[in-house]
Amino acid sequence: METAVTIVTFRDIFQDEAAKKSKFTDEFRDLCARILLDKQDMASLGLKDGQKVRVQSEVGAVIVVAKTSDDDPHPRLAFMTFSPWSNQLAGEDACMSGARIAAKLSPSDESVTQISELLQRMRAQGIST
Amino acid sequence: MAICTGCSLLCEDIELTVKDGDISHVRNLCRKGHGHYQALLTERARPMIDGKEVALDQAIAKAAEVLHSSKAPLLCGWSNATLEAQAAGMSIAKKLGASICDTSPPCLGALMERIISGRIPTCTLDDVRNFADVSVFWGSDPSNSHPRHLSRFSYYPRGEKRQKSYEEERTCIAVDVRKSATATLCSNYYFRMQPGGDGEFIESILATLDGRIPKFGDKKRMIELGTILRKAEYGVIFPGIGMLYSLQNRLELFETLLAKLNEIATFKVVPMVERFNSRGFYQLLHAPGNSLAAAAKGCDAALVVGSDPLAELPLATARALARVPLIVIDPHRSLTVDAASVVIPSAISGMEAGGTALRTDGVKISFEPIIESDLPSDEQILAKILEAI
Repeated sequence: METAVTIVTFRDIFQDEAAKKSKFTDEFRDLCARILLDKQDMASLGLKDGQKVRVQSEVGAVIVVAKTSDDDPHPRLAFMTFSPWSNQLAGEDACMSGARIAAKLSPSDESVTQISELLQRMRAQGIST
Repeated sequence: MAICTGCSLLCEDIELTVKDGDISHVRNLCRKGHGHYQALLTERARPMIDGKEVALDQAIAKAAEVLHSSKAPLLCGWSNATLEAQAAGMSIAKKLGASICDTSPPCLGALMERIISGRIPTCTLDDVRNFADVSVFWGSDPSNSHPRHLSRFSYYPRGEKRQKSYEEERTCIAVDVRKSATATLCSNYYFRMQPGGDGEFIESILATLDGRIPKFGDKKRMIELGTILRKAEYGVIFPGIGMLYSLQNRLELFETLLAKLNEIATFKVVPMVERFNSRGFYQLLHAPGNSLAAAAKGCDAALVVGSDPLAELPLATARALARVPLIVIDPHRSLTVDAASVVIPSAISGMEAGGTALRTDGVKISFEPIIESDLPSDEQILAKILEAI
């Protein structure tokens, strides 16, 4: 089961507040490692709120938590906060918030990607995600 | 009164008490600012060389040694550093022949260049408070990125010519791909667009201003928007990075829109830079910034000041930086600090160290330290490095 989406990144004040205190907390991870999906996309992936999803772009992949967006319907459009997690997926030309990332989603049983793993990937040259 | 360096609004009316390792009696701080002040007490960086704690002077000496022996040094970050620290960084860059750039995206640099050179008309946020009757948040969401923007300047306050404030005299418009907190506040004046649709949206507005039927979007809604803009006395557009990224090399289309709007009414643009002194770096550099992606790939050592590029940059650029010896000057632990060869802890600007910075609209704000600290400021550390190289 796989769905192709365009991810747009955005700023979130709660995540910003958590980042300013520390980027190494569960609070920060929980506010970053999540993707907001349209109700229809949640259903087509067989996902319920809080279940995990693998997000794969041309650049990399992360495991994050899926949540139903409370926005008006936006099928095939997903939202993630701008964070080290979204940066794992973003192409070189991406900007901070407002970046557009083409990605494929599939349900996952793996653990949510931890920040230590993200740092390891950045430091490990040539290791693909 | 303290000045909050939590974002580029540099709010000047902060009241709080710091006593026995705790912050209390806080007034006027937003949630983001509160996190910024809480950071005073959490995860402070320690002086380190290759993962081992050392004396501060040893870390500074090692930093100078690494930079001096580098053939292609890169000095990056600077968005969260004072004007004085940025100037010291530029002196180091000159002495070493190093590349210097910030971590902001290139699309923001293109807008800043046009604003600083006067090609795009701008005004101060105080002008916005006093005169603006129409504020357009385009790809920007100040309720999350600059939380007191609406209450201090663009929507809620009573200004010199806007005594009736938001109830009667101010209209806020949001143009965005998602219904952000600001878009929700704008209610009926929220205009949704498809990702990357900013160019078409501008063309539609231009058509309505010319009395033509717009080709893109909901025609009725676009005509409604055109009418509001046409009737504005003093309009201000706050473009977010989302809009600039979408327009990419078509920023002249935005210039055309402003020229057209200014034939009818007064329209200004105020940028929405995020870090407390990003604007200062653009203004000091006075030239289009280098591409960090290219500079990171070409460097053999990097000094990072006032930024966490490994958390903020796309994977490829972060990897390019992580492969070289990193020297980080930062008050806090960060991803870049954890990957650094040399860590130099510094005092927090606006709390433990004074200086000056440019607000997002270019107004210079000075601040004094409000808390005593044994740690040197970024500027003092950079002066020592400059002396040693």
